Parts: sequence; structure tokens; C-alpha cells
Amino acid sequence: MFHVNIFSYICRVFKLTRFRMNKNLKIIGKSTPKLDGKERVTGSAVYGHDIDLPNMLHGMILRTKYPCANIISIDTSAAKALEGVACVITAADVDVNMIGYKRDHPILKSNTVNCNRDEIAAVAATSKEIARKALSLIKVEYEVKQGVYDPFDALLEASPKLNERGKGLEQFGNKNMAESFHYEHGDLEAQKARSKVIVTKRYETSRVTHCCLGTSNITASYSKLDGSLTLWASTQVPFLYQRDIAHALKMDASKIRVLQPIIGGGFGSKLDMHPFEPICALLSIQTGKPVQILYDREEEFLASPTRQPMVIDLTTGADAEGRFTFREVKIVLDNGAYTSWGATTPFVMMQTYSSLYQVPACWFQADAVYTNNPFAGSFRGYGNPQATFSIETNIDLMAKELGIGKDEIRLINANYKGEITGQGLHFKTCGAQPALEKVIAESAYKEKINRGDTGRYRRGIGLASMLHVGGGAKIYRSDGCGTRLKLDHYGYLTIITGSNEIGQGSETILAMIAVEELGIPMDKIKVINTDTDVKPWDVGVHASRTSFVAGNSMLGAVKLIKEKLSKEAMKLLNIDAADFDYKDGSMYSSEKEIKIDKVVREMHFGSNELCVVEYFYEPPSSFQDRKFMGDVSGNYAFASQAIEVEVDTVTGNVKVMDVWVSQDVGRVLNPVGLQGQMEGGIATGIGFALTEEMIYAEGKLINPSFHGYKLLTSMDMPAVHFFPIETYDEAGPYGSKGAGEAPLIPTAAAIANAVADAIGVEFFSLPISAEKVLKALATVKENQLV
Amino acid sequence: MDFDVISPKTRTALLEAMDACQDKKYRFGAGYTDLINDLNANPQEDLTVINLAQLQDEVFCNITEDDSGLHIGALVTAAQVLETPYVQTHYPVLWEAANSVASMQIRQTATLAGNICQASPSGDMSCALVALNAVCDIINTRDEMRIEPLADFFRGVKKTSLAKDEVLRSIFIPKNIQPKIKSGYVKIGTRVSMEIAILSVAYHLQADEKNIIAAAGIAIGAVAPTIKYTQTACEFLIGRSLYEIKDVVLENFSSQVLNYATPISDVRASAWYRTTVLENVTKTIFD
Ligand SMILES: Cc1cc2nc3c(=O)[nH]c(=O)nc-3n(C[C@H](O)[C@H](O)[C@H](O)COP(=O)(O)OP(=O)(O)OC[C@H]3O[C@@H](n4cnc5c(N)ncnc54)[C@H](O)[C@@H]3O)c2cc1C
Repeated sequence: MFHVNIFSYICRVFKLTRFRMNKNLKIIGKSTPKLDGKERVTGSAVYGHDIDLPNMLHGMILRTKYPCANIISIDTSAAKALEGVACVITAADVDVNMIGYKRDHPILKSNTVNCNRDEIAAVAATSKEIARKALSLIKVEYEVKQGVYDPFDALLEASPKLNERGKGLEQFGNKNMAESFHYEHGDLEAQKARSKVIVTKRYETSRVTHCCLGTSNITASYSKLDGSLTLWASTQVPFLYQRDIAHALKMDASKIRVLQPIIGGGFGSKLDMHPFEPICALLSIQTGKPVQILYDREEEFLASPTRQPMVIDLTTGADAEGRFTFREVKIVLDNGAYTSWGATTPFVMMQTYSSLYQVPACWFQADAVYTNNPFAGSFRGYGNPQATFSIETNIDLMAKELGIGKDEIRLINANYKGEITGQGLHFKTCGAQPALEKVIAESAYKEKINRGDTGRYRRGIGLASMLHVGGGAKIYRSDGCGTRLKLDHYGYLTIITGSNEIGQGSETILAMIAVEELGIPMDKIKVINTDTDVKPWDVGVHASRTSFVAGNSMLGAVKLIKEKLSKEAMKLLNIDAADFDYKDGSMYSSEKEIKIDKVVREMHFGSNELCVVEYFYEPPSSFQDRKFMGDVSGNYAFASQAIEVEVDTVTGNVKVMDVWVSQDVGRVLNPVGLQGQMEGGIATGIGFALTEEMIYAEGKLINPSFHGYKLLTSMDMPAVHFFPIETYDEAGPYGSKGAGEAPLIPTAAAIANAVADAIGVEFFSLPISAEKVLKALATVKENQLV
Repeated sequence: MDFDVISPKTRTALLEAMDACQDKKYRFGAGYTDLINDLNANPQEDLTVINLAQLQDEVFCNITEDDSGLHIGALVTAAQVLETPYVQTHYPVLWEAANSVASMQIRQTATLAGNICQASPSGDMSCALVALNAVCDIINTRDEMRIEPLADFFRGVKKTSLAKDEVLRSIFIPKNIQPKIKSGYVKIGTRVSMEIAILSVAYHLQADEKNIIAAAGIAIGAVAPTIKYTQTACEFLIGRSLYEIKDVVLENFSSQVLNYATPISDVRASAWYRTTVLENVTKTIFD
């Protein structure tokens, strides 16, 4: 019943959007600079690192020396005695709950340490230097143990249980299993039987990290007077975070106020709450003073989240005409020592295996396995880049075996409008085929493929597509967002939104909607979105959802405020019925005009009412059932990329020359913002494909710097040719779909296919480093000589 | 990081400052792009930094050309090297090496002497200068000068022949003696910029009107504890035509170069990769 009610409610909003889609738009679809752009480029933006409170202390964390050990003793006496040290805490000093998605993670470790990030003690001191010195004075005695760093080893009977609190044996039949997902549809055996070609491959993806330029940071201020805790935190999910902190610290959630300073990069890294955050709060609670913890770059590499490394065993089939028949996949995720949101990436991956292209049968199993490696987290794309890499490489192999064009096989199987996939995803609009056709044409794919260069530099071209949620994702009990609007006496509009700005540009979209609908100029619009004490609820930034969900919420609120304004204006203008036009701060109805600020003043002084409204939007998606069947998103985004590379056979280096990307974004809201998302996503995708890798030796990170970790720079960027596809999906604001994660999802897959086209060797593990390429070329040469 | 700083403005003041520091721990600071990293990695107590950045001394600061060749002051930055047309036309290897250093920002402050005195096996300008047979001009606290070929100046990773009472004042590059030059710097790395060489090859060949090689300098970087001048490979080329270095001759040449390489495996590349690419790259020089 609950769903039905919401549904009919939503349908009202639907009508509203459909109406708007046909209108001539004033600002939507026109490039608009980001609201925070000037602050950012002039250096006046206040990041978490810039916060400096009176009497603030500096916190620092002592991490384990060994990735796997028993702790025999911890002696903090010398650190405590150091002048300037306000407090030192260990697990023994605090009364806290476990954290993490599976509540299997102690904030401070006491008996054992399980990965090289593990926090053993924390200090707060009057300066960073003193805090650092204090850390060096803490004596920890360890009994070093042999760790387990390979998830396949961890699955063996003989392996020790790696996380004491793990419930793997009870839940999944193996003590080191942290999480497990199974999904299937269709008749797998029948589809196998009718397959003309079946390809089986093992894919391996590396551990990469977000590389936010702003390192992790938090400032906590606890008041001993009223027990309230204020956190300046760089979370992307403030309301979930507030709850997580409250749970961790056994506090009342409403005593916790989360303020979000401008953040220097999110990309999914700030979805989980991490131990340093409650630790900082604990230091403030103990001292009664504000405490700040800032990571340096090395600590950021060591202790901030990563993408899940995965081993993917994929078998796929196609019939004689090239129609896909089935996909069978078994995935092992390296969960690391504790369980983060990252363990739930299979939830997204299964959508890709079940529904990217038409797939009659699918069998999917994904297990996240504890190891003594650091735990992964969420990262833009959420498992989808890994899944897409495996699927799209297998597609090229099947096409090759069948003798069908690699472009052709994709077109034959492309998703289509109206399709309800095996998993129940309903594609009410679908730009899959147009996107494919666009990149094939623009890149001159047909002329370039199979060029067969033989010189030093060899060119190749590759194709890949992707499917991702475009209208939020119903994974939490609500996927909604609240909006409050306030018009003041001077005609300024304040938008108080639950949604968060983490650099993606969504607050600018909300302001653009206000300009569009209410005719209020941009410089009279303020967006308030950083304070949990003020803003209404929202689930957070993830799943490419913000412009979609917050935009719809904004439109709902706009409708309410227009009703309010109309009523008052009709009274003032002495008319019975009117459909007002909103332009340049005024409302127009036939010959009559009235200024919005005047209406607001009259509402207040005449009718004793404030021009304030509130609206909550919940997307029309549904929960999936226990078998993961269901239409989980308000709409779906589709994209294809064609990428041309040049392989240098002298060095093995792969240079990305051009990227043609076409993406079904429903409707372009802010072109310049969208282009930014494309370029940023593609940059991350290229790094994932070619150069980025966190390298561990026995659980210890050995390249915790940009010197050793090869994040690419702007100098490595190829030209990005972007062709948006507009399908005007009814569910999205003005027909739009979520767009943020998509651009990086097919990039590695397209690059891998391009490299294979250039040198005739396929790669099944990422990154495709110069060394791997050179080895492959050497092997080819040897084989030719034999 | 906590240290005392002395900023001499004249050569006399510099020598006095050095003299006063002889019983103390001290380091020079020029562009600080290496020094700060060093001090972060190995914090030191009671350290004095003699800051060279404010020194106003012609020999330390200028680039001058005379009949014998080019003198480049210790404090000349990579960016200044790039703005010198004489370098671009006569010593392309140095120009390309300077252009390959880090990024525009770093190049504005990174000095030639800093690159040399850091004695990193992957120093780009250093590698080019070794190929150019450059010579160090060193002075001590008593204002006595000594000169030493750059290839000999390097004594190991982060080790040079510099004594505690000495400072590198300038670098001399001999004038080209032949009309034709084939000169360039090949830097292998993952990124286009902000990259430390996985390996590098600097070559500066001079040939007469008939394309016969009369002088050759070839240096390799990041494949041994110091930058190596590949003496026998250079000698091997003398007297040969620029166009004859192919097939067996090329193989021979490349194995002469490889003899100087004793690469290690590290996070960025394996020894196998370094050797293979070094061989491949040396074979492309005469393409
Ligand atoms: C991000 C980054 C990227 C980099 N990329 C590259 C690169 O691509 N290629 C490359 O070759 N290097 C690179 N470097 C290293 C560095 O920039 C260069 O080696 C630079 O030339 C050092 O010059 P400096 O003036 O900054 O030296 P400083 O840091 O000031 O000094 C370096 C060392 O030389 C000593 N010294 C300086 N001047 C003298 C003198 N006159 N006499 C005696 N001793 C002296 C100092 O005491 C110190 O030990 C990079 C550094 C950074 C931080």
C-alpha cells in the first residue's frame, strides 16, 4: 500500500515535468558556471584544512607497524607525559560500538591488528609537531603473525579466521566470507546448448584509489556544557554519517551536528565513515576542546578507501547470428580486513551482467572475502568498471570467433526502449543504440579497426558500452531528498536542500532550476546545503543521483511556492484565475505584472504568512526482492565509448589518442558541467586502465606517494569528443538522467580492446602497464621465431 | 621541519657563511625541490640551511658564452635553460632534458646545481650534461677553484666528490667542434610530465661534413647507482658514418651501451624492463 501511495504522488510530479519538457527553456541546457567556481579558482574557498578554531588541538593516529599481529601491550605513559599533549587514547579508554557496513570494525584496535591501516592509539596535542613526537613515544609490543593476503588462500579450510566478528560460517558457509550475492535469471543450460560460441576468461583488476587532492580531514568540537558534538566533516552522506557517528559513540544522533566544508574531491571515498572520524570526536570529547585531524598524502594513500580488487571468472555465449545467449560469472572480491560499503558493489555489478545488452540467461555469484589487506570502499562506478571490463573484452573475443564485426555484435544486442530485462530493470527510455551508432560513426571505427600496423607505433581502436542507474538507486529505506524554499522581502530566493555539493555541480543545477521556473536572476539565489541542523533529509551523494533526485525535489517545491505566490498575486491584482509567467523577478498574467518581492511582502504584512515551502521527493523506483529482481532506479543511463590508442613497441607505453563518448543523459542540463564530468571520469578510467595501481608486499603498501602511484596528469589527457544523447525521460527533471559515474565505466574496457586491436594481444588484467605490454610483445616475438 | 637559514647575498658572504658552518650540520638550498623532500624523509635536528636563492653573483647566476664553450651558473633554473636559444640550437640534449623535468612550476625553481648535487641516478639535466662532457667549477671557503668532469663528480646515489667546505659554482660545456650534430634526450616514464625517469638515454654526437662521427657523448640514467658515461660505446662510434649504424653495427653499439647498465627492480619497473627498453631505445637513436 505504501508503495502505491507514493506512486500516485509521484505521478503528479510526472505530469509537471512532462509539461515542462515542451517549453522553451531559458537557462536549462545552457552552459552556466558553477556557483562555487570563483571561490575555488581564486583560492578563497574554505576547505576542511583551513578551519582553525580557538584552542584547537591537533590529533594524530598511531597505526600498526605490521599488517597482521597480536598486540601484547601498549604503553602510552611517555607520550602522555610529553608537554603539550592533551590526551592519548587507546581502545581501553573508550566505550564505543563497532563500525562499518557489517559492524565488524573496531574504531581502535586492542587485541589484534589485521591490516596495515589499523589504528592503535590517538593523541591530541597543542601542535602537530608535538602530536607527531608523542606518537613516536608510544610503545607497542607485537607478536607478528603470518597474514593472508590472497582471498583464495583465505577461502581455504586451513586459513585462520581473519575477522573475529565475521559471520561468514553461519551466513555463507565459509568463515572468511564477509558478504555474498547470488542472482540468476533464464534457463542457463538451454542457452548454453544453443550457443555457437562460448568464451571463458579470468579477469583481474587492481587496487586503485581516489586520489582526492584534498586529503581526508575532520574537525570535531564537543561541548561539555550540553553534550553536543559539532563535526566539520567531508562526508558525502551527512545524514547517514550522523547516524553512524551516533552509533559508534553511543550518542543521540540529534546531538551531532554535521557541517560540510568545501571538499577537495569525493568520488565515492566519503561514503563510509572511517575510524579517524569517531577517533577525532573521541579526542574532543575527552579534552573538551576542538580537535582536528588532517591526513598528509602518505596517510591518505595508506588509510583512505580504494576500489575493490576482483578476480572475475566469466563465461559468455552467443548464437550463430551473434545474439548473446548467457552470462555465467563468479567473482571474488578482496574485502580486506573489515567490511565497508565496498562489499556491496556486486549489487551494481549484477545489473551489468544481467542487463547490459540483451541477456537471456544470467548466473551471478560474488563473494567478498576477508584478507589482511586494507579494506576497500566505494568508488565512482561502484564495481561497474570491473564488470564492464570483463564483459566488453569477452564480447570482442566472441565477435572474433564468430567472424562478426565488433561493432555489429554490439548493435545486434543493444538494449532498447521498452525493454524489461531479466532482472526487471525497465528501460522506459533508452539511448543505448544511438550512443553506439554515434561513437562508431564519429570515430570512423569501421575504417580504423584491424589496421594491422607493424612499425614502432601501432594504432588500435576499441569499443565498449555501459549501463548504470540514472535515477537514484533504491538501496536504503528512502532514496529521497527534501527541499525548503524561502523567498525574502527583497526577492532573493534561498534554496535549502538536503543534497550535497561535492564538486559535481548539482547545487548549480538547483539554482538553474530556480532561474528557469521562477525567473529569479542567478545572483539573487542562495543555496544552503551544508548543515544537518538546518537542511531537510537526503540520503547522500552516490549512484549519480543528486541532480535527478534533488532536482525533482526542487521542482516539487517550486510548484508549491508558485501556488502560494499565485494565490497572493491574484488577490493583489484582483483577478480570479491566472497562469503566471515568471520573468526577471516579476510575475505576469496577460497585461498585469507584479514584482515577486512585493508579493512576498504583502503575504507577510497583509496575510501574515511567510513565503516558505517544503517538499520531499521519493523516486518512483522500487526495492528489489530477495532474488534481486526489481526496477531499482527511476531511469537508466547508457553510454558507449570508442577509444583510439597508440602503442609504442619500443617502450610498451600505451598512449590514448582520442576518446569518443556518447551518453544517454536524458537531457543536458548544464553542458559545461556535463563536459567536466566526462573529462574527469575518463581521466580516472584511463588511469584505471593503464597506470594506476597500489602495490603491496605482504600487506604493506609500497608506493604511498604520487611518485610511485601513477595518477595521470592533464598532460596525459587525450581529446574527449562528447556527444550527448537526449531521450527525455519522464522521470528526470526536464527529462534528465544521472550522469556522473558513467563516463569512467566503459573506459578501461574500450582501452583494453583498443590495445588488443593495435598489437593483437588481449589483456585480462589491469592495469595494462608498459611492462605488461612489452612482455606480451616479447612473447609474441618468441612464438613467431619458434 | 625546523632549521636555521642564512641567506648570503655576495660570494664573500657565502664563503664566510660556509666557513662559519664547518663545525655544524649544514646543507645548501637552491630551489628546494629536492631538499625539502629529503628533510621530510630524514628529519634533522640543529640543521643550518645556507640559502643560495638570494645570491647575486654573476658566475653563480648567469649563462655566458665564450670561445671555449658555455658556462652555466649553478643557480640557473631549468626554465632559464629553456629560454636560452644557444642551448636549443647547440645542445639539444640539454634543452630536451630540461624540458622533461617535472612540470612548468617545478622548472621555474629547480636549479642545475640542485639537479647535479642531488646526485640522483635519474637526474635529467645531469644525464644530458654527462653526455656533453660537462665540467664542474667548484670553489671552497678559501675561494680556491677546482674543476672536475661531471661524470667523475658522481660517486654513488646521493654522493658527490664535493667536500664540506666546497660549493658548486658553475658548469662548463665545451663548444661543439663539428658542423653536424645529432643530439637528443630520451626519457622513459609512465606519465608525460611529473615523472622521474625509469631510465634515460642522453646522446650528443658530432659529425663532419661527410657525416663521419668525430665526437660522441652518450650517457644513461637510472640504470646504475650513478649516471653512466658509456665510454666504449662512444669510442665505438668514432670514425663511423652516421648512416652506417644499423644491423650488426647497431647491435654492437647497443650491447656496448648495455654493458654499463646494472639496473635494479623497484616499484616502478623491473630490471628486465629497464634492460629491454634500454636496448630498444639505443637502437632508435639512429632512426
Ligand atoms: C614534484 C617533483 C618532480 C620532480 N621531477 C624531476 C624530474 O622530472 N627530473 C629531475 O631530474 N628531477 C626532478 N625532480 C627533482 C628536482 O626538482 C631536481 O633535481 C632539481 O633540479 C633540484 O634543484 P633544486 O634547486 O630544487 O635543488 P635543492 O632542492 O635546492 O637542492 C638539491 C641538493 O643539492 C644541493 N645543492 C644545491 N645547490 C648546490 C650548490 N650550488 N652546491 C652544492 N650543493 C648544492 C642541496 O644541498 C641539496 O642537497 C623533481 C622534484 C619534485 C619535487
